[in-house]
Amino acid sequence: MAAARPGGSSGRGPARTSRLWAGLLVAAGVLVVVALLSLSVGSKAIPLPEVWSSLVNPGTGYSDVVVASRIPRTILGVLVGAALAVSGVIMQGLTRNPLGDPGLLGVNVGAAASIVTAAAFFGAGSLATSVWVALPGAFLAVVVVFLIGSAGRGSNLVRLVLAGAVVTAVIAAYIQAVTLSLPDVFDSYRYWVVGSLAGRDPALALQIAPFIVVGLLLAVWIAPALNAVALGDETATALGVNTVTVRLIGAVATTVLCAAATAAVGPIGFVGLAVPHIVRGFTGPDHRWLVAYSALLGPVLLLVADVVGRAIVSPQELMVGVVTAFIGAPVLLVVVRRMRGAA
Amino acid sequence: MPAARRPPRVAASRPVLRVGRFVSLPVSSRGVAVAAIALLVLLAVSVATLTAGRLGLPLAGLLPALVSDPGSAEGFVLSRLRAPRLVVGIAAGAALGVSGALFQTVTRNPLGSPDVIGIGIGAGAGAAAFGLLWPGIVPLPVGALIGAGVAIGLVWIGTGRGFSSPSRVILTGIGVSAMGAAFVQYGIARAGREEATVLAAYLSGSLASRSWQDAAIIWSSLVLLLPLALLLGTRLRLIEMGDETADALGARSNTTRVLSIVIAVGLSAAAVSVAGPVAFVALAAPQVAKRLARAPGAAIVLSAVVGAVMLCVADLLVQQAPFGVQLPVGVITAAVGGVYLGYLLISEFKKGTM
Amino acid sequence: MASILAAHGLRLAYGDRVVVDDLSIRIPDGGFTVIVGPNACGKSTLLKALARTIKPAAGEVLLGGVSIHSSRSKAVARRLAMLPQSPITPDTVTVRDLVGRGRFPHQGMLNQWSRSDEAAVAEALIATSTDGLADRLVAELSGGQRQRAWIAMVLAQQTELLLLDEPTTFLDIAHQYDVLELCARLHEAGRTLVVVLHDLTQAARYASNLVVMHDGRIVAEGPPREVLTAELVAGVFGLPCRVIDDPETGTPLVVPLSRARLSGRAPAPRAAS
Repeated sequence: MAAARPGGSSGRGPARTSRLWAGLLVAAGVLVVVALLSLSVGSKAIPLPEVWSSLVNPGTGYSDVVVASRIPRTILGVLVGAALAVSGVIMQGLTRNPLGDPGLLGVNVGAAASIVTAAAFFGAGSLATSVWVALPGAFLAVVVVFLIGSAGRGSNLVRLVLAGAVVTAVIAAYIQAVTLSLPDVFDSYRYWVVGSLAGRDPALALQIAPFIVVGLLLAVWIAPALNAVALGDETATALGVNTVTVRLIGAVATTVLCAAATAAVGPIGFVGLAVPHIVRGFTGPDHRWLVAYSALLGPVLLLVADVVGRAIVSPQELMVGVVTAFIGAPVLLVVVRRMRGAA
Repeated sequence: MPAARRPPRVAASRPVLRVGRFVSLPVSSRGVAVAAIALLVLLAVSVATLTAGRLGLPLAGLLPALVSDPGSAEGFVLSRLRAPRLVVGIAAGAALGVSGALFQTVTRNPLGSPDVIGIGIGAGAGAAAFGLLWPGIVPLPVGALIGAGVAIGLVWIGTGRGFSSPSRVILTGIGVSAMGAAFVQYGIARAGREEATVLAAYLSGSLASRSWQDAAIIWSSLVLLLPLALLLGTRLRLIEMGDETADALGARSNTTRVLSIVIAVGLSAAAVSVAGPVAFVALAAPQVAKRLARAPGAAIVLSAVVGAVMLCVADLLVQQAPFGVQLPVGVITAAVGGVYLGYLLISEFKKGTM
Repeated sequence: MASILAAHGLRLAYGDRVVVDDLSIRIPDGGFTVIVGPNACGKSTLLKALARTIKPAAGEVLLGGVSIHSSRSKAVARRLAMLPQSPITPDTVTVRDLVGRGRFPHQGMLNQWSRSDEAAVAEALIATSTDGLADRLVAELSGGQRQRAWIAMVLAQQTELLLLDEPTTFLDIAHQYDVLELCARLHEAGRTLVVVLHDLTQAARYASNLVVMHDGRIVAEGPPREVLTAELVAGVFGLPCRVIDDPETGTPLVVPLSRARLSGRAPAPRAAS
C-alpha cells in the first residue's frame, strides 16, 4: 500500500499540493534573502546592494573582504540549520510526539564528550572539531538513551526525555571532571560549548557537508515510512513497513546530522524542536513535506538567530546557541501548555 | 439484617505509641530500625571525614581536639577545614533529601525532583547573573535564590496548570533548564578564565572552603522547615491516592501541594545557596529511602538521613581520592547518582509504572 | 421528606464550558438515590459538586442546612464520604493501610491511631469481605477485589452519607452485582447512598429514588417504577425500547426494540403488564 498521499488534513488533494509547492518556492526565496542578510549585518554593516555586487563581481575592496569573511559562516549556518531541523523531524516522527528534539536525548552532549576526550587524552589541548571524533560519543549517548527509555513495554516521550536527562547529566559530569582537571581544555571548551557560528575554520563547512548530505538523503528515504509509523507500530507493520529498520535508519540519520552539526559549531538546541513544529502548522503531518520545508526553514531560523545575535549587542556578538535557547525554550513551553488530554 | 452490634475490641494491627486517650502515634518498627542504622552510618562517615588522610586527626585525638583551642594545629584542621565542611554537608544533604521527597510525592512521580525541573540550573543562572554579569547588586547566595525562584515560576506558568500534571511539569522543567543552561554557558564563555573556572566549579556543587556562616544558614533553614514538612506527612500520603480522593477525605489537596512545594523550594534553595546545585541527591535519596523503609508515603526523616549520608560520602571521596585536582562534589553525585538513576528508570519502566 | 444533603440553583462549569445550569436537588435521607443519564449529561459533575470537590460557579450545596463550602473540609468528611471514579492506587499500599487512610477525618495531630480507628477499620474489612486480603498489596488485587478495598476505605470513614461515582465500571458482571449488593446492605443498615450508574436496569433494581439527567438538567425524579418508562428512555437516551417487569425482582427492566420490529417486519409489542 502506498504511503499516505500528501493531501494533509484539508482533503482537497490537487489544490493543496500546488499550495505546498508554491510555499516551498517561497521558503527557498526567504532563505536566499536571509542568507544575504547574514552577509550584510554585523559589526560593519554592508548594505544589500553592495553585498549582491560583491558576490556577483568579487573584487578586493573593503566591503568585498567583509562579505567574503562572512560567507563561510553563512554556509555553515545553512548546513547546520538544515541538519538540525531535519533531525528534529525524524526524531518527532520516530517518537510520535511533537516534542522530540535530538538535544533532549543527549546527542549533543555525547558529541561534546567525545570531542573533549579526544582533546584531553589524544590531542594537543585544543578541541579538534572533526566529525569523526564527535560521532562515537553521539552514537553511544543515543544508544544508551534508547536502551533505557525502551526498557519494558512500549516507550513514550516522557520516558525517553527522562532517560535523556539522566544520560545527559552523567556525561556532563564526565565532561566537567575532565575540563576542570585540565585548564587548557577547559578554556577552549567553554567557548565552544555555547554554540556559535563565529570564528570557525572555513574548511569546516566542506568537511561536514558530506555527512549532512548523507543524513538528509537518509531522511528523505524514510520520510514516507514515517507517515506509516505515525499511525502506530501495529498499523505500520500491517501497511508493510518494517518499524525496526525505520527506527534504526532514523536513529543513524539523526545522530549523523546532529554530530556533524555539533562538531562544527558546538551544541545548538531547540532548532530541531521548533522548526518542525512551526512547519507542521502549514504542511500538515506528511513527513515528506516536513523534511523539505524544514531543510529550508531550519537555516532560516538559525541564520536569523545569528543575525539577531550580531545585531542586538553590536559591536559585540551574542552566540547563536544562546539566542536559539531563548527562542526555542518558550516555543517548547507554549507547546506543552497547548497539549491536550494526556496528563 | 441484625441490629448493629458493638464492635469487638481488636488487637492493634501496627505498633502504636499511646499516651492516655489523647495521644496515639503509629510507628513503623522497620522505619525506626533503618533510620537508626542510617544515623550510625552517618556517624561513621563523619568520623572518617575528620580522621582520614594526611591532615586527618588521629582517632584517639579526636575528642580532645573537639574541645581544644582553635589556634592549635589540630584545632585548625578541625574548626577551619573539615568540621564546617562536614556540618554543611550533613545539613545540605538532608535538605536536598527532604526537598526531593516532597517534590516526588507532590508530582506523584519518582522523577519529579528539583534537579529535573530546573531549580539547580536556575540557581546557577542566578549565580552567573549576579556573580559575574552584574556583580555587587546582591550577595551571591541571594542571587542564586532569585534564579531558583525565577526557574520555578517559569515552570509554574509554563505548564498552564500549575503543578498538577506531572508529565507537563517534567517537560516544562527540562525546557526551563535548557534556557538556564544556555544562560550559564554564556556567562562562563564571557567571563575571564579565573572567574569562569570558579563559576564552572560552583555549578557542579562544591563543599570546599565552607564556613561556619554557611553552616548557620543551612542548619537554621533545616531546623525551621523540616518540622513543617513532617506535619504535612499524613496529607501527602492521601494525595498519593489522587486529588479527588484526598479532597473527599478532607485533606485539601491544593493547599497541601502549594505548601509542600514552598517548603521544598525553600530547602532546595538553602542547600543550593551554600553548596551550589549539587546534582541528584534530591532525586536519588528519597528513592533509596522509600525502598529501604518499604512503606508508602514520603519517608521524610529517612530521606533526610540518606541524603546526608550520600553527600558526605561523596565529599569524603572528593577529599581523599587521588584525582590530583579536588573535583567539585557534584561531579561524583552526578556520576554515581546518574548511574543509579538509570537503573531505577529501567526498573520502573519494566514494571510499567510510568 | 428530610434531606441532609441538598443543592439549589447549581451552576457547574469547567472553564468556559457550562455543564450544569440552575439545578436543584434534595437527596432523601436514608434512601438509595441513583443518578443516571447519557454520557456528558453532567451526572458525575453533579456528584462531585455534592461532595464539594468541585466548587459551583453559582448556587450552593447544603449539608445539614449549612453551605458545604463554608464548613471545614475535615468536618464535612466526617458526615459525607465519596469514592471517585478512578482513584489512584499507590504502589506499596496494603489493603489494611488503604482502609486505614479513610480514618483521616477523625484523626488529630497527636491522635493518629486511636482504638476507634482500629475498630472502624476492622468493621469495614468484615463488611466488604476483604479481611482475608488485609495484608495484600492493593495494586496486586483483581478489579473486583480492589474496588471492594476502596469501598472499605470509604466505609471506614463512618459517615451517614456515601457518594459513589460509577463504582461498577471496569468490573465484570459478577463483581458488578457484588458491589451493588454491598451497597444495598449498607442502605438497609441505615446509610444514605448516592450512586452514579450507567446501567439502567441495575439502577432500577437497586434505587429507592431514581434521578434521570439530560444535558445538565434533571428530567425525572422519583421511584424507578414511576420514572422509568419507554417514552423517557427513548427521549433521553435515544433508545427505542419497551419496559417490562424484571422477572426476578419485579423492578423495571429496559428491553431495546429489535431491528425487525423497528423496520416494521414484526408486530409492535403489547403494552407492558
